[in-house]
Amino acid sequence: MFPSDACRVGPVFRRGQTDYWTVMQSGWLHSGPQLWLRCVHRQVRVTAGKQREEHRGWLLTVDPVSHSVALVSFGEDGASVQVVLGHAVEDVEVLQEPDPDTEERLRSLFPPPETGGPDPDERHWRRSGVRRWLQQNRVPVEEDGNELRVAHVLTIRAPYRPDDCSSANQIILDRVQRLLRVQPDQVPDGPVPPGTSDGL
Amino acid sequence: MATPVPVLRLPKGPDPNSRGFDPNSPRFIALCRTSIPTSAAAESDPQQLQEEQHARSVLRERFLRCLLAMSNKKVRFHMHEKVNVEATFGASDIDVLNFQVSDLHTPIGVQKEALIRSQDVISFTFDA
Repeated sequence: MFPSDACRVGPVFRRGQTDYWTVMQSGWLHSGPQLWLRCVHRQVRVTAGKQREEHRGWLLTVDPVSHSVALVSFGEDGASVQVVLGHAVEDVEVLQEPDPDTEERLRSLFPPPETGGPDPDERHWRRSGVRRWLQQNRVPVEEDGNELRVAHVLTIRAPYRPDDCSSANQIILDRVQRLLRVQPDQVPDGPVPPGTSDGL
Repeated sequence: MATPVPVLRLPKGPDPNSRGFDPNSPRFIALCRTSIPTSAAAESDPQQLQEEQHARSVLRERFLRCLLAMSNKKVRFHMHEKVNVEATFGASDIDVLNFQVSDLHTPIGVQKEALIRSQDVISFTFDA
């Protein structure tokens, strides 16, 4: 849907300490991801659809591909998320900044994965365990720094769970993930079958 | 009304020619003309381009996490002409053009699996 020619291009104004500004339809669309990123976590009012319904909430994100606006509202039963599709967005108005409690709740809503892994010793122990398990099952695997490489096509990052596998080959990915899922907790120090490479 | 309704028509399969965000792919051009390109200011200035790219990837990642959190949850779709339906969310495609859902409650019964076009949806809500 293209912005109609009748769209207003209103003034962008700021007042005092708290920034209040209204960005009209064509302004919002063309202001770009940097402005959207700055508006994240603020309370916004979105007017959507031909009936111009209003939705209010804390801005979670704006999808750069579809311009869909994700809003969060906190109720008694917890948080509810409403996503307004980009083609339906008519108007977006920023209302206020979040208070520290709301900001904290917003941050913990969909947290990014933890970047800190287990400490190096535990990582090494887990890595060896997974490597031995794969070798006992006759899977060619080598250690490459902090990662495990299987048959040069699959990589396993720390902490070496089934979800940490990545590969372009679907069949190998599936096989290795299945193996990791049934891996016993304590892989016994059994003999490594001849013919499988030992990365050490 | 909870009577299951037999599948009325099968959804069209994925287009084998499309790959990711390619803006020149025929599917993207045909269906998704409103996606914003890089802004003119950023095109000339590599520093700005980098910032813009960073902002895009942060926003997109947040959106994808939101979609991930939605999978297998009950979602209410608010569509045109005041149509509101409830379904269990399955997945969205990469351009957010279609949503795959299960157990779609419609006025004529429950569709076991369905594909909803994003142009038909105004907004959707779920409980996090």
